[in-house]
Amino acid sequence: MTGIRAGGPIGRPLLLAAPASLWIALFTLAPFVLLVAVSFWVSGYYGTRPDFSLSNYARIFQNELYGLQLLKTLRIALVSTLLALVLAYPVAWFISRQALRMKTLLILVLFIPFWVNYVVRAFVWLPILGRSGAINSALLRLGVIDTPVDGLLYSEGAVIVGLVYVYTLFMTLPILLTLERIDENVLDAARDLGAAPLQVFFRVVLPLSWPGALAGCVMVFLLTLSAYVTPQLLGGPSGLMFGNLIASQFLGGNNWAFGAALSCVLVAVALAVLAAAGRWIKLHRVLGGAA
Amino acid sequence: MTADRWVVVALRAYVALFLVALYAPLMVLVALSFNDSRIIGFPWEGFTARWYGLILDSPAFAEAIVNSALVGIVSAAIGTALATALGLGFRHEFRLKKVLFYAIVTPIVLPGIAGGVLLLLFFSLMGVTPSLLTTVLVAHVNWLLPFAFLVLYPRLSRLDSALEDAARDLGATDWQVFARVIWPAIWPGALATFLFALTLSFDEFIRTIFVLGGERTIPVHFWVLVVEELTPELPAMATAIVVITVCLSALAHAVLTRTGNRS
Repeated sequence: MTGIRAGGPIGRPLLLAAPASLWIALFTLAPFVLLVAVSFWVSGYYGTRPDFSLSNYARIFQNELYGLQLLKTLRIALVSTLLALVLAYPVAWFISRQALRMKTLLILVLFIPFWVNYVVRAFVWLPILGRSGAINSALLRLGVIDTPVDGLLYSEGAVIVGLVYVYTLFMTLPILLTLERIDENVLDAARDLGAAPLQVFFRVVLPLSWPGALAGCVMVFLLTLSAYVTPQLLGGPSGLMFGNLIASQFLGGNNWAFGAALSCVLVAVALAVLAAAGRWIKLHRVLGGAA
Repeated sequence: MTADRWVVVALRAYVALFLVALYAPLMVLVALSFNDSRIIGFPWEGFTARWYGLILDSPAFAEAIVNSALVGIVSAAIGTALATALGLGFRHEFRLKKVLFYAIVTPIVLPGIAGGVLLLLFFSLMGVTPSLLTTVLVAHVNWLLPFAFLVLYPRLSRLDSALEDAARDLGATDWQVFARVIWPAIWPGALATFLFALTLSFDEFIRTIFVLGGERTIPVHFWVLVVEELTPELPAMATAIVVITVCLSALAHAVLTRTGNRS
């Protein structure tokens, strides 16, 4: 083929985008539509059959057990998120003010534990918080206690500790990214104008870095909101979350229609959080923190 | 010392403490993997390497490694190929580009457990029998595709289309331009994306557990042992998983930074 051809990048855009688009349409969008549809179906003794029934949602909103479970999940997610924010912010600030070599090294040190599979990262707390775990064993040896304490593991607190440990990087990273963009000259200017260190922090640094902090909070909140592994391992009966409730409809019981409705509620909550946060920050900022 | 100085010292101490808290649990895990006790925990009963011997002799663990490698390589290859084509397409302007962008990346922030549930429903209604290279493969590509796109696209968008114009002026077809000009320029980025996608596949658990056939991946195998048996070799197995995943991720990280990751 010769003759005059258009310039610019090669290929036809729609043709190039087609494979990935088809993949998403077939394996994400279609199954998602199905998920919503199944949430209106009915599961019975003989399996799950098509219907248009609001009974699954009625059960979720009328039986206060499920509402309480959702509230508890939101509470655990919120506490974990705020804890991660408070713990991670000073670290991000410290790293952002280092010279390049030290900064690169510290970021690597920060990353390495998060390369470990998250099932393992949740598991490590069993031999730490457990009856014969590291904390009980240390306290016994120091003579602080005479018999092992049981309440450390299998509690809401254990779940929060585990979640913060598993997901802090998603808080540290977006905060670090925004703090890095703050010009040292801006801070010098504030100091020259007579601001005390705390004033510089609260009046200059904090306002400039809040988009990163918000992005980190959204990311950690969404991750902890749909947690399954950590509460299943560390929560015991009192620390189970909404994700465990969903999973038990499929992996244990066989109430798929009800499980689909629970999943839709969880997705709706996640989308609501995103929409609320989207008023202040763009989605790609949050994703920038994840990538 | 001035008040300023104290703040700096306190901050330094805090960061050190934070890093200790990050690594200490993993250190406890490694220590326990050598503890000669049937209980996963303390007290310390003496040094042994027998738990590692048990793992090395376990055909199930070896199978899980092979399964993870297999589904990882295939899903990362598919994800990288899809992301490459999509990224090249995104160098053009076209209608619905923004909609497509959000359709691709939004699944990252949606609950992973819903991502597993919807595939379970979809495949069982389609009558697909769950297995490693069908249902699990799809779950893994679903998970890693948006990340592959986000990592690769910035590298593709930096390509100067003047190069393509020049090649075309010299009579090259689009395919020739891709093979002789584009691919030589982007393959390091594609390789880095592939390796990063591989680490994501190795890490995947929550979607996999819902579409599992007979074959277990490494995280699934570990999970089943934890919730069903709590066998004494688990810390050793966890340590082995730590070593495998950290090495793989270190490799991916090195290639990513070498090839100039700017995202």
